[in-house]
Amino acid sequence: MAAADVRDMLDLPAEGQPRPHKKQKVVEKRPEGITRELYALLGERAPPIAINENKYKGRPKWMNKLRVRPWSMAPFTNNARSDGLVLNHWQRKHESARPPAPALEESQIEVDQPKEEGKEDVPKLPEQEYAFAKYNVKPRLPQRYTDDEYNRHLKNDDWSREETDYLVDLVTDYDIRWVLIADRYDYQPRMDTQPDANALVPAKHHRTMEQMKARYYFIAATMLSLEHPPSEMSEAEFELHEKMLKFDPDRERDRKELAALQLNRTADEVREEAMLLEELKRITSNEQNFITERRELYSRLEVPISVGNTTMYQSSAGLSQLLQTLLQADKSKKRRSILGDGAIPSPAGQTPSTAGGLGRAETPATQATNKKGSITKETGQMVRTLTAAEEAKYGVQHHERVSAGVQFRSDRAQRLTQAKSNVQTQKLANALSELEIPVRLFMPTERVCKDFEKLIQSVNMLLDARKVSEKVESEIRVLEAAKMERERKSREAAGISGPSADPDHPHVKKENEDGDTGLLGHSTTQNTHGNGGAHQSRNQEGDGNHKRSASVLSGASDKSNKRQRR
Amino acid sequence: MNPSNPPQAAEYGGDEVSAIVLDPGYSTTRAGFAGEDAPKSLIPTYYGKYNADGQEKLVFGDDVFVTPRPGLSIHNPIGKDGIVEDWDMAERVWEHSFMSRLTGTKAGNPFQNGLNDVSADELPTEMEVESEEKPLSDSPLLMTEPGWNPAKAREKTIEIAMEKWDTPAFYLARTGVLAAFASGKASALVIDIGASNISVTPIHDGMILKRGVQHSPLGGDYISSQIKAIFKANAPQPITITPHYLISSKSPVEAGQPPQAKYKIFPADKAPDASYRALLEERTLSEFKECVVQVWPGPTRLSAPSPTGVSNEDMARTTPGRPFEFPDGYNQVFGVDRFRAVESLFDAKAAIPDPDSTFPPSTPAQTIPELVKASLAGVDVDLRPHLLANVVVTGGSSLLYGFTDRLNHELMQMFPGPRVRVTAPGNTSERRFGSWIGGSILASLGTFHQMWISKKEYEEHGPNIVEKRCK
Repeated sequence: MAAADVRDMLDLPAEGQPRPHKKQKVVEKRPEGITRELYALLGERAPPIAINENKYKGRPKWMNKLRVRPWSMAPFTNNARSDGLVLNHWQRKHESARPPAPALEESQIEVDQPKEEGKEDVPKLPEQEYAFAKYNVKPRLPQRYTDDEYNRHLKNDDWSREETDYLVDLVTDYDIRWVLIADRYDYQPRMDTQPDANALVPAKHHRTMEQMKARYYFIAATMLSLEHPPSEMSEAEFELHEKMLKFDPDRERDRKELAALQLNRTADEVREEAMLLEELKRITSNEQNFITERRELYSRLEVPISVGNTTMYQSSAGLSQLLQTLLQADKSKKRRSILGDGAIPSPAGQTPSTAGGLGRAETPATQATNKKGSITKETGQMVRTLTAAEEAKYGVQHHERVSAGVQFRSDRAQRLTQAKSNVQTQKLANALSELEIPVRLFMPTERVCKDFEKLIQSVNMLLDARKVSEKVESEIRVLEAAKMERERKSREAAGISGPSADPDHPHVKKENEDGDTGLLGHSTTQNTHGNGGAHQSRNQEGDGNHKRSASVLSGASDKSNKRQRR
Repeated sequence: MNPSNPPQAAEYGGDEVSAIVLDPGYSTTRAGFAGEDAPKSLIPTYYGKYNADGQEKLVFGDDVFVTPRPGLSIHNPIGKDGIVEDWDMAERVWEHSFMSRLTGTKAGNPFQNGLNDVSADELPTEMEVESEEKPLSDSPLLMTEPGWNPAKAREKTIEIAMEKWDTPAFYLARTGVLAAFASGKASALVIDIGASNISVTPIHDGMILKRGVQHSPLGGDYISSQIKAIFKANAPQPITITPHYLISSKSPVEAGQPPQAKYKIFPADKAPDASYRALLEERTLSEFKECVVQVWPGPTRLSAPSPTGVSNEDMARTTPGRPFEFPDGYNQVFGVDRFRAVESLFDAKAAIPDPDSTFPPSTPAQTIPELVKASLAGVDVDLRPHLLANVVVTGGSSLLYGFTDRLNHELMQMFPGPRVRVTAPGNTSERRFGSWIGGSILASLGTFHQMWISKKEYEEHGPNIVEKRCK
């Protein structure tokens, strides 16, 4: 059909045969008695597609039931006007003007917009004030002076009465906006009043804003004080009065001159100022940094001295425990307790001096120091391997395992003198005192400590040896006593008295004594020899003797110690 | 939000009283209803005058451009300085601006509005004119005026509005204030680049500061004269603008080649006046200004050397030119010349001398930076930084490509200390109709309605009331 129309319009010959019409979709009617859904399953119908039409949503349905509330072009007057000008604006029509079913309307209106209730009232009361009239505000000005008041209080040589009137009018007109008042101030002195004076005075006397302000403030303050004497003024009034009286036009003029200078700076000046400001900012921030760091340092130095019992910290274990607790506290508090409140925590390694140097480094004045600082920093960063001699010189040590915390070398040496049993400890102490070595070393250097350790070891060994020898001797004694008993018995049996063995004993003893004395000041080889001799001696020796020999030996080792130290 | 609810009054403070805002300018006159965002009626202020059948006839509106009637001469009721000179015709033009589109059906005398050409025998009598309803009897009217409008002109304006148009309420607002309002500012330094004038107006609290108002004639028409001077000195051959109405057919030519067009020849007695040709030439030129002319973006002047040592002029030469085809088919690519046409707005030395131009050579004091300087010198020093932070640019000629950038640079160079911030709406219509939009805002405010001068007040105090009320 459409094609035929087009052909017709374009004067094309009609096609020989009209095209077969598109198969018209025959909508088969659903037989009665079959549900629609079931029928849909049977027939050759396209699957249903949800058709979404873009439709204007409009108002909710329930609103359609409402009657359209009419608006009308209504006249209104503005209370802020004195002339009663009537203008027209669109306004919702009066509610009660609608006659039908007012009750229903009311309820629906309430559902619709309860907030509107206030508005609905507007047209009901024609006398209602215009909504914008309340914005018509005027500043409170002091009352106008009378002739009498002017003559008594406000006379001024510079300002004529006419000009004063003009000024006050202008102030009232422009609501004390001085910028506008000064802009529009254009007082023409009347020619007819003072023709002579006019010739002398320049025709147009230019008043500055400061002059106007000074004059007006004087008038306003005077009028205020006439209205209420200053003693009866309210606080605000009094403040205003004071402020107006204290107005200083010269100062104000100077200020404006300065402001103009500031405004008309050249680009160079502005740039210089910006640079200076930047510099100032840097300096103050550096100073701030310096102050915080110094405070940090002070707070470190001024840790409060503890007044509690310190005995528990006197042993090394106590000390290390204290150290642990302090470390814990440090970790948890992040040193906030040491620093003052509000101080910026700086990294622990940063010392104030280096930080100050870095901070200053940016200013050109301290370029030199900066250079120096950087050099030391570089050398510090270099890793150097030390020779054995140097290691010894600087006391560098390498440890296999290092236990946590700080330990005192003297503590370690001290610990060696503490044996398991009290008796043994006592014995060690006796041995040391005999050698005139204090229990607590005076100079616990590394080497001293090492030698001390050796000494204690050998003392211990000797003590052990003595113990063994004592044991053996006592056994020998017992056995000899038994032998003598047996010999006596056999002698008694044989009738021979046996004092022959007796002279042997004192001899041995003497020899021993000699050896002992001779040993003093001799080398360790003799010492061990003597020791061996003492060991092997089958003589009966007293405890004291043994003790003495041991102490002598240790004395010798002490001597060697001393030699080594030297 | 329920569309049937009116907006809360506190939300926008608007209360529309179907006021009409009329913003007459030198080149166009804008009129529309307050509360709308663009003027409904935009007509040229130019009107045509010709004699037919021994009777003087007038053409208003866009019709002036259309038919080159024999002896048609074009006039403008407003003087070069933006002040109305021919009050009778100004009234007619303004009346046409709102009657043709806004108060249409109530149009008064069809003879009076110039829309209909009535033949002499149907001429209505004077009596009928008197009995006609006056055009604005139910709409308050807000009119605009330049900041330097003399008191006499203001009084004349309210006289026309009240007595000829019978408006119930009237207000006269300054274009600068309204442009500031359109930018949402109560205090601003408004730089208005119009067709005949550029003006700088400081505004404080919605009022102009009279001592700071500055204006100079370096507007769009001056730029046109500069372009004409450039065309005269054009390199391959001087360009003459032939307006469309003089061309009957044309064929395309290569760039820079002489045009090949058939011209319409009007016999001397049928030809329109030269002013008609000038008007249409001006249309072509404004097209040229829109397409080609560009303001050197700065930061330094076009004549100054750039920071790299190459002179700015050479830099401008390296930028790709812009082609333009004139109505007669002549076309050319414009290079550095397109910058030179407007440079004199910022740099008086860059003005292109043209002895034939109607414009006197521009002085340094007329350039925009100097105007701003002089304007700021006229206001209180405390106010200056605030004004510089609120510079509002408006007016159709400120749409020149790159204008605001350059202005910004110039101001920043001149006042390196305070913060300079130039506000210029990006939207073309907002820039062209800045003062109208401000008037539309003002006249639709509920708080403004107390400021209208009502008919009653006018009758009571006479036209002098406008000086007291529209300060």
